[in-house]
Order: sequence, then C-alpha cells, then structure tokens
Amino acid sequence: MASLEHLTASGRHMLHRRGFLGDSASALGSIALSSLLASEGLLASTGSVGPAIDPAHPYAPRPPHFPGRAKNVLVIFCAGAVSQLETWDWKPELVKWDDKPMPGGPALTFQGPAGNLARPQYEFKPRGQTGKWVSELIPHLAELTDDIAFVHSLTSKTNTHGPAENFLSTGSIFDGFPSMGSWVTYALGSENQDLPAFVSILDPRGIPQASGNNWGPGFLPAEFQGTTLSAAKPVRHLRSASGVGPGTDRATRELLVLMNARHLEQHPEDGALAARIASYEMAARMQLSMPALNDLSNETAATLAAYGADDPSNPIKAAFARNCILARRLVERGVRFVQLFNGAYASGGALNWDGHTKLKEQYDVHAAILDQPTAALIKDLRQRGLLDETLVVWCTEFGRMPFFQKGAQGRDHNPDGFTCWMTGAGVKPGVSHGGTDELGMKAVENKLSLYDFNATILHLLGLDHTRLTFRHNGAERRLTDVHGRVIKEVLA
Amino acid sequence: MEHSRAAAVVVWAVVAAACGRATAAAPDFVADIRPLFERHCHACHSGEHAKSGLRLDLKAAAFHGGDGWGAAIVPGEPDSSPLVRAVQGKDDLQMPPADSAVPPLAEAEIARLVEWVKAGAVWPDGVDTVVVVDKTDHWAFQPVRRSPVPAVRAADWPRNDVDRFVLARLEAEGLAPSAAADRRVWIRRVFFDLTGLPPTPEEVERFVNDRSADPHGRIIEELLASPRYGERFAQHWLDVVRYADTHGYEVNTERPTAWPYRDYVIAAFNDDVPYDRFVREQIAGAEPGKEASTGFLVTAAVLLPGQIGQDEASKRAARQDALNDIIVNTSETVLGLTVGCARCHDHKFDPVTARDYYSLQAFFAGVGYGERTLATPAAVRMRKQFEAAQMRLAELEPLVGSGTPRAAVTPSLNTDRIAPVRAKRLRFTILDTNGGFEPCIDELQVFDVEGHNVALASAGAKASASGSLISAGVHELDHVNDGEYGNSRSWIASTRQGAWVTIEFDEPAMIERICWARDRTEEYKDRMPTAYRIEVSAAAGDDAPWTLVADATDREAFNAKPGDEAAAELSPAERQAREAAELEKKRLREELQAAIRGTRVFAGSFRKPHPVHLLTRGDAEQRGEELPPRSIAAFAGLVEPVALPADAPERERRAALAAWLTDPRHPLPARVMANRIWQWHFGTGLVDSANDFGRNGSRPTHPVLLDWLADEFVSSGWSIKHLHRLIVSSATYGQSGAANTAGLGADAESRLLWRFPPRRLEAETIRDTMLAVSGRLNPEMGGRGFSLFNSRGGLSGFLPIESFDASGRRRMIYAHKVRMELDDVFGAFDCPDAGQSQPRRRQSTTPIQALNLFNSPFTIEESREFAARVEADVAAISAANPPADSPGRRRIDRAFELAFSRPPDAVEAAAAEAVVREHGLAALCRVIFNSNEFLFIP
Repeated sequence: MASLEHLTASGRHMLHRRGFLGDSASALGSIALSSLLASEGLLASTGSVGPAIDPAHPYAPRPPHFPGRAKNVLVIFCAGAVSQLETWDWKPELVKWDDKPMPGGPALTFQGPAGNLARPQYEFKPRGQTGKWVSELIPHLAELTDDIAFVHSLTSKTNTHGPAENFLSTGSIFDGFPSMGSWVTYALGSENQDLPAFVSILDPRGIPQASGNNWGPGFLPAEFQGTTLSAAKPVRHLRSASGVGPGTDRATRELLVLMNARHLEQHPEDGALAARIASYEMAARMQLSMPALNDLSNETAATLAAYGADDPSNPIKAAFARNCILARRLVERGVRFVQLFNGAYASGGALNWDGHTKLKEQYDVHAAILDQPTAALIKDLRQRGLLDETLVVWCTEFGRMPFFQKGAQGRDHNPDGFTCWMTGAGVKPGVSHGGTDELGMKAVENKLSLYDFNATILHLLGLDHTRLTFRHNGAERRLTDVHGRVIKEVLA
Repeated sequence: MEHSRAAAVVVWAVVAAACGRATAAAPDFVADIRPLFERHCHACHSGEHAKSGLRLDLKAAAFHGGDGWGAAIVPGEPDSSPLVRAVQGKDDLQMPPADSAVPPLAEAEIARLVEWVKAGAVWPDGVDTVVVVDKTDHWAFQPVRRSPVPAVRAADWPRNDVDRFVLARLEAEGLAPSAAADRRVWIRRVFFDLTGLPPTPEEVERFVNDRSADPHGRIIEELLASPRYGERFAQHWLDVVRYADTHGYEVNTERPTAWPYRDYVIAAFNDDVPYDRFVREQIAGAEPGKEASTGFLVTAAVLLPGQIGQDEASKRAARQDALNDIIVNTSETVLGLTVGCARCHDHKFDPVTARDYYSLQAFFAGVGYGERTLATPAAVRMRKQFEAAQMRLAELEPLVGSGTPRAAVTPSLNTDRIAPVRAKRLRFTILDTNGGFEPCIDELQVFDVEGHNVALASAGAKASASGSLISAGVHELDHVNDGEYGNSRSWIASTRQGAWVTIEFDEPAMIERICWARDRTEEYKDRMPTAYRIEVSAAAGDDAPWTLVADATDREAFNAKPGDEAAAELSPAERQAREAAELEKKRLREELQAAIRGTRVFAGSFRKPHPVHLLTRGDAEQRGEELPPRSIAAFAGLVEPVALPADAPERERRAALAAWLTDPRHPLPARVMANRIWQWHFGTGLVDSANDFGRNGSRPTHPVLLDWLADEFVSSGWSIKHLHRLIVSSATYGQSGAANTAGLGADAESRLLWRFPPRRLEAETIRDTMLAVSGRLNPEMGGRGFSLFNSRGGLSGFLPIESFDASGRRRMIYAHKVRMELDDVFGAFDCPDAGQSQPRRRQSTTPIQALNLFNSPFTIEESREFAARVEADVAAISAANPPADSPGRRRIDRAFELAFSRPPDAVEAAAAEAVVREHGLAALCRVIFNSNEFLFIP
C-alpha cells in the first residue's frame, strides 16, 4: 500500500499483515492462511505486536513467544488481603514483641491509629523435606510446601482493596484495564473450543471487591473477557428462557442457519459475518458441554470427601470445594485460564480475609473453607499428571501489619511486604524467595512488586511480558505497564 | 519553535564534528571542555534519564540546568554557576560524588572549566554528538490548513467536496468507488447511524417511492431534527468521557445525581450547541440552570473518603489520582493528546513535560468530586417545595417541653420547635452519637418567626466550633450553614462527645424553630447526634449567658421500638391522631427526599484551589516547586498561551483553560472532533486513534480532507450538524457496502472508503432496535435512569432484572449505568464498562453474545411481543385491504419489513412459513433478532 509511510511502525505492521490476509479474499482463505502462519510460528516472532486472531476462531490455540513450561494457569485468588503473618511468613521475633509498641512504627495506618505489635495468632511448625515453617491455620496446604515456590517480598502500589485487586489482576490500580486472564487468552487462545477460554469461578459467599476488573477485558476485544460461573451458578442463558421447547429451539436454530447462510452468500467477503455464524456454533457446543461440567454426580465419593465437598457441617466449605472440583475439570478440559476466588466483598472481614478487628475469630472460619478443598485440588491435579502443564498460583492483593489496630484484635492493610506463591509447571519446588524484616512489616530482601510476579506468570506460559502489548490511547499497553522482571529464582 | 530540553526527543547519532582549535587564551569547548564532561559527568548526566534532570551532552539542556538548581552554567560567572560550584565541592555538594566510580576532576581541569565559564562559556551550535528532534514537528501540531479541493477524473461521481477528496485518493491508488447503495439500504443505514433506530416500513416505502428532487436531503433533515439523534450521539460522547451512575472501585456506590449531565449532553447534541461552547460549558460551566454541564469534570471513578487511608500520604495520593482523571479526560477528549505519561516523567513522544502536566493540574486544583445545587427552574421549584414541606412537617412537631413526647432523632431531619425567643447566638452541643465516630451535621437551620433561616452564611451568620474533622471540600465547618444538604457538604466534629457548633446571627432575631440532620439525602445514618443541647444567648461575647431551649430528654429514646411505653399510655383517640400525624410525616418526608434529589447534580464541587507542586515521578510525597496554572508550553507559537497567577480564583482558572482549548487557532480540537464525527459515521476515523493525535498515534489516511473538515467545522461556527450533513449526503457515504476483490486486495479494512464499511450495531442499538421492532420502545426522554439490576450501586453481586416495565423499555442510554457491571444480555456486545475512556467501540464476536441473544428472557419476551405486534399490524392492514395471498405470508412479510426494511424472498418466506406453522410466529421473531442482517448496519 502506498499509504504505508503515514503509519506508525506497528500500524504498518498490522496493516501489512491484514492486507496480506485480505489478499486471499475470502473469510475461509484468511482462516486457512492465519492458521498456517500460526502453525509456522510466524506470527509469534513479530516483536511487540499482538497475536493474529482469526475472527471466526478467536479461541484457537496460538503459539507463545517461546516454548513455555506451562500451558494453562489456575489462579487461586484470596480476596481481602490474607495476613502473611498468620500463614506463610514466619516471624518468631514477633512473639517476643507481642503487645509492645513498635519502635519507630507508624502512628496511623489505613484505618486509623496503630496499636501494639501482635504475635502470629497461630502456632507455626516446620514442614516436609525443606523444613519450611508454616502456620497451623492451614494444615492441609502446609503439607504441600515441598512443592511450592514462595515469594515473601512482594509489594503493591496501594493499600486500598479495590485498586489493589485491580493492580494484582490488571497491573493498574485504576478501573477498566485488561485482566491477566484476558491477556493470556488474547495471546494464546485455548485448547478447548467447546468451553470459554477464560473462566472465573466465584466464591459461594459473593464476588471479590474489584469484581469485573478481575476478569474484565478492559480495552482488549470482548472475546477475552472471563466467563463467571460457579458450581452452584452455571453460565447465564445457557438454555432458552422458560416456555420454549427443545423442538422449537432446534427449528429456530436451523432457520437461523439458513437465513445467515443466505445473507453470507450476498456478502461473501465479510469475515465478521462468518465469525458470528461460528460464534453461534460455539454457543451451541457450550450449551451441550457446560451442563456436563457442572454435573458432579460422576465424581467418586472418595473424591468428594477428599475435597470436603460432602461436608454437611460447613455448607460454604462444601460449596467452595465443589468450585475446586469445577476448577480441576476446567483445567482437565484444556481451558487456558481458570481463576478460583476464595473470599467475597468488603464485609468487615466476615466474608473475606480482611481481618481488621477480630482476625483470629474470622480466620478460623475462612481457613476452614480454603484449606482442605484447595489442598485437595492441587493434589488431585498432581495425581492426574495435570501439574506437568498447569501452573498454579496462590495470591492475595496485599498483606497485613505486624501490629494490631488500636483497640482491636486485627491487623490493618500492608502493601509493603506480603507473600504469594506458585507451584506446578515450570516452578522450582521448595523455594522461599525474598523476605520481610524481622517483624514482617516491609520487604527488605529481594524486594519485588506484583509486576514482577505477573511477569513471571507470563514467562512460564512462554510469553515475554514486554512483548505482549495492545495499543490503546497512544500507548502500547502491557500487563506490567513499563515495569516487571521475571523472578528467575522461582523457575525450575 | 524553541527547542527546549523538555520538548526534544533525543536520537543518538554520531555527528562528525570537526571543529578547529580556538585561540589558546580561552579553552575550546570541543577540545578542552567536552572531554572533561565525558570523563567525569556523562556517566550520570547524559541521555534522557540523566540524574536530577541535568544533562551535559546537550547545549540547551546544560544551560537550562537540572531539577531545582536553575541554570547550571552562567556565562562569565563561574561563582554563580552551580556546575562549577559542585565540582569545587561548595554548597555541601561534591561532584562527582566521592563514593562514585567516576574519577574526580583534577585541579587543572577545574581551573580550565572556571576559565571557560569566565570567558563566556562558549558552546558552539552544532557540535553536540546527539541530535535533537523537535517533538512539535508533527502533523497534528501544525496549524490547520485548508487546501483547494482536488481535481478528480470521475467528475460525475462526487456529490460534494468530501467526495472529491475521497475520490482523488482512491484514484491515486488505482481504486474505484462502489455503486450507490440501494435506497432500502441507504435509509436503513442513515437511520441507524443518525438515530440508532431502524426506519418503519412506511418510512422506507415513502422514501423508496419518493420522486422529489432531494429525497435523501429530506430524510437527513428529518433525522437531524429528531430528538432520537441527540440520544444516539450523546452515547458516543459518553463513551469517550466514561460516564457512569456509580462511583466505581470496590464500593461502587450509587452516584444518584449524575444523570443531569447525561441529559445535558443529549440536549446539547439535539440543539447543535456550537462545539466550542459545548467544551467551554463542560469545563468552565454554563449559565444558571445548566450546571450539569461540568459533570464532564467528574465522570471518572473515584475513591470515597472512607476508602482512602487515614494517613495524610494516602489522602494526597488519592487526590492526585482524582485530579489525574480530570486532566486525562480533558486532554484526551478535547485535544486527542495523551498527557497521563507526563504525571511521572516528560512525555516520551509528545511535547508535554511533567511541568506542563502539573501546570495543567493547577487549572483544576479547586475541583472536587461532589454535588452542587442546581438552579434550573425545576430545581428552584423543588427547593421551595422542600422548604414548604419542612415547614409543614415542623408544624406537626410538638413544642419542646410541652409534655407531649417528641419523636426520636432520625438521621434525615430533626426539628426542635421552641417558644419564640430573642437570640444573637445559638449553640448546639452534642453529648452522644449512635456509634463510635465523631458526630456529623449536614446543615443547621435556625428559623425566625417569619420563617427565614437566619443561620445561613449568606444571611450574614457566622459559624464557630469546638473542633472540626476536615475532609477538604466535603466535611468543613463552613458547610454547617452553607444552605447545602447531604454528607458531601457537611460538618464533622473533632470529638465524639461534648463537641459544639455556635452560630452567631447577623442581627439578633426572634427564633422559634431549629432544624438539623445528619444527612438530609438519607444516604448516611452513622455519626448521628442522639443526645444534644440547644442553647441561645441574647448577645455576642463571652460574658453573655446561655439559656437552654431544647434537648433530647423529652424525645423518645433513639432506637426505641414501636409500641413503647409512651405510646401505650395514649388514649385510642390520641393514638389515632398520632398515627395520622406519623403517616403525614412519612408522606412529607418522602416528598422532601424527592425534592432534594431534584435539586442536586454531581457536577463537581468548586472550592479555593490548593497549591500545586511539580511532583518527582508523580509521587505526592516528593513535592518540588509550586506551579501556577499555565497552558502547555509547546503550543505557545500557535495559540495564545494562558498563564495565571498562583492565587487565581477557581472559576477563572477553568474559564481560562476552556478559552485556550477552544481557540480557533488551536491545531487540535477541531481536527479531533471532526475526526470523531467521521468515525461515528464510518466506524473508523480518518485517524484511527481518536484519543491520540500525538506522535505515537496513527497518521490520518486523508490528511488534507481532515484539515478541510476541521476548517469547515470552525468556519461553520463549530456546527456538528453541519459536518453530519456534509458527510451523510456525500456519495462516499451513499456507496454500497458490498466488498470486491480489488478493494479488499488493496485495502482490506476499507479505510480508503472504496465502499461503505458495514459494521455491527452497538449494544444499546441492538436493545433499542429490538424494542422498536416489537413496538414496545418507550420514547420518554431524560431523568433518573432505569435499573438494569436489583441494585443501583454497592458492593455485592448485581442480580439482573429480566423483565422490564415501561420505564425499563426506554432507550438504553437512560439505563442507570453501574460502572464495571455490564448489562446481563447486551453488555457482552462490547458495551463500555466506564472504567477507561472508550474512544471507539470494538466489534467482537463471542459465544456469550450468542447465548445471551438466543436464550435470554429479554429476547424471548420481545420475540413474543414482536409476534403480537405483527399479528395486530396484519389484522389492521388486512381489515383495510383483504389479502390476495395467504394471511400467513402477510405476517412473514410484515415481520421482515419491520426488522429488515425489506420483504422476504421466496426461499426465506417458505422456510419461515414452515417454522411459523409448526412453532408459531414468535420463533421466527427470535430468529430475526439473532440474524446477522438484523445486527449489522448495511
């Protein structure tokens, strides 16, 4: 094209590529050509330009930038900010300082005046081969420490839940940026064409605080939005609304196929029309495959028991356990990105990990829901060989202060040093990287940000976080903004 | 244009600088001084990321100096040159630092440097080894130039000048335009495009058979005059400014008075308000009654006071974020310029420095996210109603101390009626509250016997207090008697118990009624005084004694359950009278609430601007020098710059910025808006990055046409409808949308307009069109939005409403927009979430869209309604004109005509008839709603 000189470099690149595809002059032609290019890996080596997406098959698998260790991801997202001090970051020094004022500590934190330092509210003991000290709060998860790579020195950009969840999930504190699952499926598509590529499983207690930001596509195409569901609540509109029989459904669908086919004949060059037809085909496949997904009747009693899905004494735990089984099934079926939420919205710590005032009382409840089902999920994935290709990430938006809030039995927000971890495909087992100070207040050893953590997740999927970009409002946007470095120390 | 350090991109390049030696007396820069800089300074002080902003590899930059030091080199004055002083180790600063790997300067080297400065610091031009590129050297930063209309070969094709520009380009590429679209296609296209709704079959038939001179022109004028036009184009604008009816972020509270801004935008488009005025009204404000226009400033998500950390650093950071949203919105929307980067560092590509950014921030330093009082006639009326209702309510209250027990305090309004007493001062002391926090009062009113509120600041009264918790613009002492209601204009005491506020009246007054509340808008119920004392004093001054006139002791206890002891002692008649009074009070309170809501608008609250500082890397804790309001420096050569003193009044700041933004010589606003208008018609702009006209944005496909349109726009008096007419009446717009191999081969995206590029309907248009076709669209305009969910804001899950009453069948622009929560059915069709600006709608295709549109209750319900409408239409038509063919066929014809603006062909009709026979007409209607033909603008 003669207009090339008027374009930016990436614009030129895109136009060139689309012009090339356009040459084949039919939707089918472009599909064939783009999958040819994709299979040759030609589209993968194009610098900071997004992947070539065939509009008729947006979830077709696409090659990574380089061979990744993981093919898919399961993110276990604990909303409300889990205290590092009651879980993974053992601070014996804090026991000595219990109920003493923190020398040089801040007078005022997020919610108000600071009280005295407070010892970890649970006992810790060494676990497994590594002897890693982990809290009694989470005995089942603690059994897995030999396989986990902990990052103890993470930091966030904000101490407010909503923006912090945004930051964890999108790399921006503001509303409306693409979530990690959207980025990943935008880059890689999915291995399963009968299910959504990116699924977010909501906690039985409700939605997390940053709600749709956690699975939103931001300015990426809507194809890459996470589909929300849970074991109790399947995808919306999976069946036709009441009063329409299956025979009518079928006849309606057939007539639609005919009318769209005739319309396409009159507009033979239009890729968007072909894409819409394909989307109805996929919707029809989803209508068939999704109900089976939620039907747990063919899980063995042993499996249900292992997850705690049959626990009559704790219905929330049982519901969360069923979500865990659902997560395994999605991973099993090749869904690229699965997000599993534990914890809901702001509720004074009643429905999530936001333990401001009665931390121990509330954590007893929350841990009972999280611990056994999540540990069973990871063990189940391993036993089925799925961890060879699946990366499991456990994360929370920030940590908590080493002191209690004044007049309360809980800890305030702390974005300056907290723990997240990974296990599974490509992760070095039994590693603890980075560290906070002796009271667990601030990251001091190998201080890292969530940009780094997210860059590492992309890296394990074979994606270079600096090259996975999308142009929006004048900038080549990335999950990691202009920051981030891969945390090599946790890679196998 | 001046090449300042900040306005330059540096490209590393080798310049073969061959400079001869100067005389031996003064050191030569190239031979003697530069090597010294290279050896001892460049490690830190060169390139774009030079430490403290000082770079010594560029002449202009070196003389300009680094952050906070002023000019680094003062020719002739080595002792006044920070550079020289630093290498000499004066002023507690030693350069290079002792602990650095860079060797210190030898005595001789320092002497040479001193000598060079003393001799005038001659740094010849053109010797620098780096080359600067002027960031303003960019097409969009040049003045708009109207070029002559080009000559074209196919001279009979163009209908107006727009076509000549488009055709000239096509001919240059060896392409030809497509044939004109069929009239049925054209009318469908222009209806969707200008109003977002399809034509009726009758409108189509009339147009198809119209033999008058200009049938197209007639349609265009009818549509531009239709109120549906403003509803359609306002949506485009609201996308860009990310309008929503909630505050966003985690709590996502309802923003109940945001909608007047949405209505303002609709009216502005309908009235063809000149674009320069449109921009001025949104930034600087409009005449009384149109205050909603400045809703533009506060469309973004914002953290409410309770969501921000209590420490000062958190508050400052949140304020910076809130201001950033205003700056970014203004700049991207009006200028197509991305300035957000300059919050942390000079823009990498565009001529916007961090200094520019904070100077822009100073224009908005007095803007808060909050409500103001409307002065529309309706609002003024409502305010009067409020006061009247308040008065009637007060009359139902027993006198203090009369023996009749008084109602418990409520958060929304409390009245203490007292026997008239002469007072110069009134003191309200709070003894206890309903929770653990300091008490809050949104307004303290004191009425005299004539019904005037003598406590108002505007009536000359002065407030003082024992202490106040300040949240700037929200909670301040001044707000206790400013005549404004609600939490966002309230006073909070600094102590939980024993706090007082005193009002000193302008003149002593005979007072008889005190009204006060925690929050008259009923949003907040915490921080409520439950025990209090009201005292008056006849004179000012500390010596004048206080007399108690009212307290809570004769009120029912707060939280007392109904049927308490006091009520039990009443006789049946007394109880009846009391219940009637309670009912009347309840009704009046509801009236009050309705009235109060109608008088407020979320359009920014304006206060005395706070000082603005240059922040290092955007960090609110690293404040540099204070900056007054100033326009972007790099445009000074094109547009008269605006610079105001640091103490300029609030309103003046926004007015000055608005004037700068709408200066007809400004190269950006007219181009940016002309491009948006083009995009709204063709799906893609001439520049496809509508919010970014900077050096990193796309270049226009038709630069000459864009300038011609921009000039036409300004010279038409910034008339948006003028551009619509030009574009929509063009042959370019009137082409067929059919593809052809030559066109696709050369230009797959149809950017050169060899055809009209078809595009999918937007989310709102699909919903509106389904309702229009089913005959159920409610045309009512304006007002509070209808709910899409069981909740209008808040934390928890939003349950979608599945079946709508008439108010919910209004156009979707009137839906209450919950930020980050997409509509259950249509949200999946790339509906913006109002998180970030959406300069252009995407057109994705997803299986979720298919599931929603195929299976949702909305579709099934409207399919049935559509079928019922068709039956009714056909019955009416058949009554007038008995059918020659089968009535079944007539129904199918009617359904197709309503939905597709055409009758079915024989194959379609036969297939449809078979389905209708077996499964009913609603099944066909459901197919139609899901068909590609229905969902695309042809």
